[in-house]
Amino acid sequence: MSDIGKIRIRVPSNVKAGDVVRVRCLVIHPMERIERDAQGKIIDRNYNYITRVTATYLGKPVAAFDLTQSVSENPAFSFALKATAPGPVKVTFVDTHGGKYERTEDIVFG
Amino acid sequence: MRSLTRICCAVAILAAAGAAATRDIVPAAAPAWVSRAIPEARGEINVGADGKRVAVRYRGWSTRDFGTFRTYAYDDTRPEPAPQLGPLPAGAVGDPKRGRALFLDRQRGPCTGCHLVPGDDVWPAGSVGPDLSTFGDRHLPDALIYQQLWDPRLTYPSTVMPPWGAQKIFTPAELVDLVAYLKTLRGPVPAEQDADRNPFTRRRSTGFGDNLDPTNNPAVVRAEDAAAVWKAPGPNGKACADCHAGGPQQAMRGVATRYPRVVAEHGRVMGLEDFLAVHAEATTGRALPSESEANVDVTVMIKMASNGLPVAIDTTSSAARAAIERGKTSFYRRVGERNHACADCHTTDSGANKFLGGRFLANVADGMTRHFPTWRTSQNEVWDMRKRMQWCMTPLGANMLAADSVEYAELELYLTTFDVGKAINTPGIRH
Repeated sequence: MSDIGKIRIRVPSNVKAGDVVRVRCLVIHPMERIERDAQGKIIDRNYNYITRVTATYLGKPVAAFDLTQSVSENPAFSFALKATAPGPVKVTFVDTHGGKYERTEDIVFG
Repeated sequence: MRSLTRICCAVAILAAAGAAATRDIVPAAAPAWVSRAIPEARGEINVGADGKRVAVRYRGWSTRDFGTFRTYAYDDTRPEPAPQLGPLPAGAVGDPKRGRALFLDRQRGPCTGCHLVPGDDVWPAGSVGPDLSTFGDRHLPDALIYQQLWDPRLTYPSTVMPPWGAQKIFTPAELVDLVAYLKTLRGPVPAEQDADRNPFTRRRSTGFGDNLDPTNNPAVVRAEDAAAVWKAPGPNGKACADCHAGGPQQAMRGVATRYPRVVAEHGRVMGLEDFLAVHAEATTGRALPSESEANVDVTVMIKMASNGLPVAIDTTSSAARAAIERGKTSFYRRVGERNHACADCHTTDSGANKFLGGRFLANVADGMTRHFPTWRTSQNEVWDMRKRMQWCMTPLGANMLAADSVEYAELELYLTTFDVGKAINTPGIRH
């Protein structure tokens, strides 16, 4: 899958200072890539799981998730935070193959 | 009144113009269609040196060859197998316990897919066929029950139940066990502990939320790959964007509402995916074979540009009417080991709006195409209409055709006639 690590983050569009907002995020990640040789035989069960998800808001950590191998493909996460000022929410995903995927979405006050 | 007459005239002229534009389509004169699908989507059969036939299908799908059974191919002229008498083997004694195991075996029928019987281990039971919880109280003769299992069409000519014995899905000994089990089903039925166990009281799925939210539907994220395909020049040095100005959202607005349609140049009905496969190659030199990731992604992108617009396919030209008629014939054609038709599951006369196992069967009259390509939560993949049709073939026990075959295209056209006037909403999310 070429688009491994693609992330989308959604925050509410009409935010006022002091609102508690729910942030949703989704990452495209297969978790398990099975590689095959030319005959189609599996050569390596290339297990690759996202083990840690962290989120920061205005540079300060607001949420962290520790995952096990029971996580689904293309998982979605959501968490709540109190919007004190306009600024970026950054979500970072780390997998067992050392892959690190992150994306930032700005909370804009309406 | 006068304005009404004028409108009628205008409609007649429009219809005539449509007919004139498509009248000269003669399938024989059109170039023969060669499948442009990826290898696993062509419905091919590999024959090994030992004569063993292995069906080529998608990774993880069954490779069993159903070549002895009827398919949807127009050149498959084999008739529907005739209803067959199945006399009860003399002196046979069935084992109700074995019969119950067969009734529940998900590798066989499963009978529970359509019929409810008592037991907490019966999951998931369906409601397409009658509730058999008190079947034994009918005191039917063994020979009649056996015949009903062997080939129910002798008793009920329009039944949707497969001829289990006549098609050799169950052996006579197994059917005798099933008869013995069915006779043990006596009332009174204990009170239902779990409303969801019973398909007649089960809650329906409430869906999967906003299908256009990229944090909810991975298909939306996947379709963003198509923007790169749209802009990248193919081997001819041309990109989609070079001819279709204004970006896909603007240039493709409304295009998907007209598909599937009769394409005169190719003398056949084409879905969006079929047309992309030939059009992209002819203009940019880049192959977008049917069922390739790029083809499906671009299809989602083009269809998303028509989100909210009503489906407006041509249903009036003579070529379209003839194709719709052929698609309708396919919809009611009985195929495969199970001798099923699409109509068995998807019309309210039979299975539609009922549970087949845990799955709720869609009704063709509600329109089944406007959310395709759709994200399948059970597969973690985006599927277009054709792959969904090919998926139906395995439970039917029929070999699948190529994803871009004319048969599927005309069947899709017939299904799309029920979507006319309803808003496109792509990509959907389904189980």
